[in-house]
Amino acid sequence: MLFITIMIIGTLITVTSNSWLGAWMGLEINLLSFIPLLSDNNNLMSTEASLKYFLTQALASTVLLFSSILLMLKNNMNNEINESFTSMIIMSALLLKSGAAPFHFWFPNMMEGLTWMNALMLMTWQKIAPLMLISYLNIKNLLLISVILSVVIGAIGGLNQTSLRKLMAFSSINHLGWMLSSLMISESIWLIYFLFYSFLSFILTFMFNIFKLFHLNQLFSWFVSSKILKFSLFMNFLSLGGLPPFLGFLPKWLVIQQLTLCNQYFLLTLMMMSTLITLFFYLRICYSAFMLNYFENNWVMEMNMNSNNTNLYLIMTFFSIFGLFLISLFFFMF
Amino acid sequence: MLKIIFFLLFLTPICFINNMYWTVQIMLFFISFIFLLMNNFMNYWSEISYFLGCDMLSYGLVLLSLWICSLMLLASESVNKYNNYKNLFLLNIVILLLLLVLTFSSMSLFMFYLFFESSLIPTLFLILGWGYQPERLQAGVYLLFYTLLVSLPMLIGIFYVMNKTGSMNFYLMNNFMFNYDLLYFCLLCAFLVKMPMFLVHLWLPKAHVEAPVSGSMILAGIMLKLGGYGLLRVISFLQFMNLKYSFIWISISLVGGVLVSLVCLRQTDLKALIAYSSVAHMGIVLAGLLTMTYWGLCGSYTLMIAHGLCSSGLFCLANVSYERLGSRSMLINKGLLNFMPAMTLWWFLLSSANMAAPPTLNLLGEISLLNSIVSWSWISMIMLSFLSFFSAAYTLYLYSFSQHGKLFSGIYSFSGGKIREYLLMLLHWLPLNLLILKSESCMLWL
Repeated sequence: MLFITIMIIGTLITVTSNSWLGAWMGLEINLLSFIPLLSDNNNLMSTEASLKYFLTQALASTVLLFSSILLMLKNNMNNEINESFTSMIIMSALLLKSGAAPFHFWFPNMMEGLTWMNALMLMTWQKIAPLMLISYLNIKNLLLISVILSVVIGAIGGLNQTSLRKLMAFSSINHLGWMLSSLMISESIWLIYFLFYSFLSFILTFMFNIFKLFHLNQLFSWFVSSKILKFSLFMNFLSLGGLPPFLGFLPKWLVIQQLTLCNQYFLLTLMMMSTLITLFFYLRICYSAFMLNYFENNWVMEMNMNSNNTNLYLIMTFFSIFGLFLISLFFFMF
Repeated sequence: MLKIIFFLLFLTPICFINNMYWTVQIMLFFISFIFLLMNNFMNYWSEISYFLGCDMLSYGLVLLSLWICSLMLLASESVNKYNNYKNLFLLNIVILLLLLVLTFSSMSLFMFYLFFESSLIPTLFLILGWGYQPERLQAGVYLLFYTLLVSLPMLIGIFYVMNKTGSMNFYLMNNFMFNYDLLYFCLLCAFLVKMPMFLVHLWLPKAHVEAPVSGSMILAGIMLKLGGYGLLRVISFLQFMNLKYSFIWISISLVGGVLVSLVCLRQTDLKALIAYSSVAHMGIVLAGLLTMTYWGLCGSYTLMIAHGLCSSGLFCLANVSYERLGSRSMLINKGLLNFMPAMTLWWFLLSSANMAAPPTLNLLGEISLLNSIVSWSWISMIMLSFLSFFSAAYTLYLYSFSQHGKLFSGIYSFSGGKIREYLLMLLHWLPLNLLILKSESCMLWL
């Protein structure tokens, strides 16, 4: 609990700081409190994951510190950026911190060793601070490259995975690409995208966490009290994939609309096509639920959720499936 | 329009109540009759509410989707009988219908796109959930990704159009004309795949073969018409580009129609045969539509309505014998005249509708399409003559192979047609033949 609080404080310090040094400090606080959270249990995998996380993040922080000092030495100021080379170093350090594409290699490996709740934190909360800092930089080329690489790698990498955590990691990289591209246009769209992404991935990880699902083949032998319930739970995946009738389409819609306004057609086409590939592996996860009749084992893992969780969960699923209609209702009302 | 939407929305809780299968079915019939009475033959948008409205073009297709969806429930009685997740099935179909009505009646291009995409999802669920073989996974993936691959560029195209015109309203957009090649391809390709045009039609036979009867009915009856409807809407502001490029699509679909008809002649699967025949018919529709003549536009709309009823009826017939014989193979489904003589009449009537025999709406549609295509270029007469010859040939092949000859010797006992099935056939056939008496509702919508 202590560490979670400190972690949140670290992020807040980063987000609210008005100098790069302060931002660096917040990131360090955030990192050092996240590590004890990771290696909480005696699992060897998680220790390894925390070590990996520490090494990469420490590297990124060092580079960030170095470059911000460099900036200060050159400009005698530590908050204004018009230096392209230094800001490129800062940018790459931040991309490394957030796990965006050219620097993404630690991310799926590390996810493999985490519990679902830690994975959720890594996928959502830990992205706030670096992405906020990236939004301060106005350097387009590296960001553009990173967006393209993120969406493509996120899509291709997830294709052959059987581990759900790695799948979620690659899908997170893909979504990160979308978030970075929305950062190029406007911060509020980024915020909306991030909130919706967090909501949808929260629903999914919550489900995986309750039922202790870690691999693709567990899904076929997993049985909720009714198939219909399972069916509706897995529709969240289509929502995460951004298919139209679901809530997940809304942030994508906003980003697409804004990008067409900025004439970024090539980038947009690439992003959409790669999202199609992510949709393919989401759909593969959903097979066990959407095929109502298939050959089953005689023994099935029957797990019961307690009713509080179920209610909360069903409400969230309802929003994730029908949310787009509700939002459009509000839109047309005002 | 909002009353239809609310009716369907409030129908969704009823789906969860047990033993409400027939109630929902009757309700859908009820709403289609209500909607029938809402017709006022306006050539402009009427019934406007919220962002919805309908002109003659959308009116016919909304009515068709209401009608086909109620017939879908009538056809898939086995879901009710064996309790194959019937509540979910009902819910799925009601939501699918809701989305289809929204698609056809939304007045803005973006809303059209949104619901156009959304209607894919319940169809996918229908195929994956209630299909028969494990291959349905592949069919589902084909369906989803063929459509999404081309419709995502269309979304970009739509936003481009919006940035240029500042409006998404169909009626206002008719005042604009875009001379931009890439936009043309973006907007058109999605509908061409949905139609489906030859060369991008592969998802359709696959989906039909794996889908349950309701899935086949909705696919042949409505989903293909979504493509034609979209084309009719967007072609009005892409006319110049269409003059430049339409020859590509017209020639592909004419030549492809002939090739697909030849493919039909060597099918052994009843459903695959009907699926390929609908590809051939849609080829004529597409060719006539893209000539952009008055005859062509009206004829394509007429044939779309007619084909929706007729091929959906044929899929029902295929399912009737599938439920009895447990197979769709032509080697087993033969000599059915001995087996169900009264059903043979329906086979005959619907087959003759499929080959555009006189009293049907298909004939009217095909004649006007032939007119428009021949006036576009007389060379297309060669392909058209082959096309209409082979369409008669494969329908005759379907009819005579399944009805005449010796009965399959492995049949042990049989049950004749049920009243429900005869009603189902009648309700497909009757509008098909009666609409010709009121054909201005289809032919004079423009």
